[in-house]
Amino acid sequence: MLDEKELVLNPIVGESVQHNARTVSNIRALTASLFGVAAGTLGLESYPGFLFYFIGTAVVSVLIFALKADSSPKAYFFRPVGDLWVGDLFGGLMSFVLTWTLFYGLCKA
Amino acid sequence: MTFAANVLNVVGVLFLSHAVYSAYEHSLLASRSTSSAVPSLPLDITLETLFSVLLLCIGVVLSSPDLKPIQWHVWAGRLEKSKEARLVTEVGVGGGNPYAALEERPGFWDVRGAQKAFGGWLRESGEKAN
Repeated sequence: MLDEKELVLNPIVGESVQHNARTVSNIRALTASLFGVAAGTLGLESYPGFLFYFIGTAVVSVLIFALKADSSPKAYFFRPVGDLWVGDLFGGLMSFVLTWTLFYGLCKA
Repeated sequence: MTFAANVLNVVGVLFLSHAVYSAYEHSLLASRSTSSAVPSLPLDITLETLFSVLLLCIGVVLSSPDLKPIQWHVWAGRLEKSKEARLVTEVGVGGGNPYAALEERPGFWDVRGAQKAFGGWLRESGEKAN
């Protein structure tokens, strides 16, 4: 109920919310495959590789926060914690694993 | 800003391809050597890979389209301030006056006039029935 009242008092623009979510998920998809390239080249295996991915996504979140969201995620994301920091944490995992295995095979085999 | 982002992207891709090729060459070297122990990746290739990925991340973030404010008042204020957005008259193409619904309201409905007309029609139909 509190949320509904808040939305009536301070309405949000759905189009902008969609645009922001699309932009962030595009960035995440691109950088996830980049992290896969790096992890495969470095020859990471099992847990260190996944740890590398999660550290990388955290760095990308900080970059979006600092460079794109002007350090005020409240103005660009409806739920900053969900949409910016942990929202797409597993969205790029599959493309990460794809390029990770590919470059691991290229550089180690 | 976009030019700087493109430069970052190009430099990052160059560094990354150099690092990956170096790692590939290193793996060939290891497979040729007689000792069975595989040497780990040299420090400079590791650093080059991490550096190039960081550059590419910054480039990708910078070259992506700008985020739009989601709060209605911020969004509408920005739209009001830009001249070209106000010239747009179609609805739903990212322009137009956001306050059009408030500024172009229909006038008040004349209740008394409608009442009088309805009364007249009632009387008329009553006379006709009689």
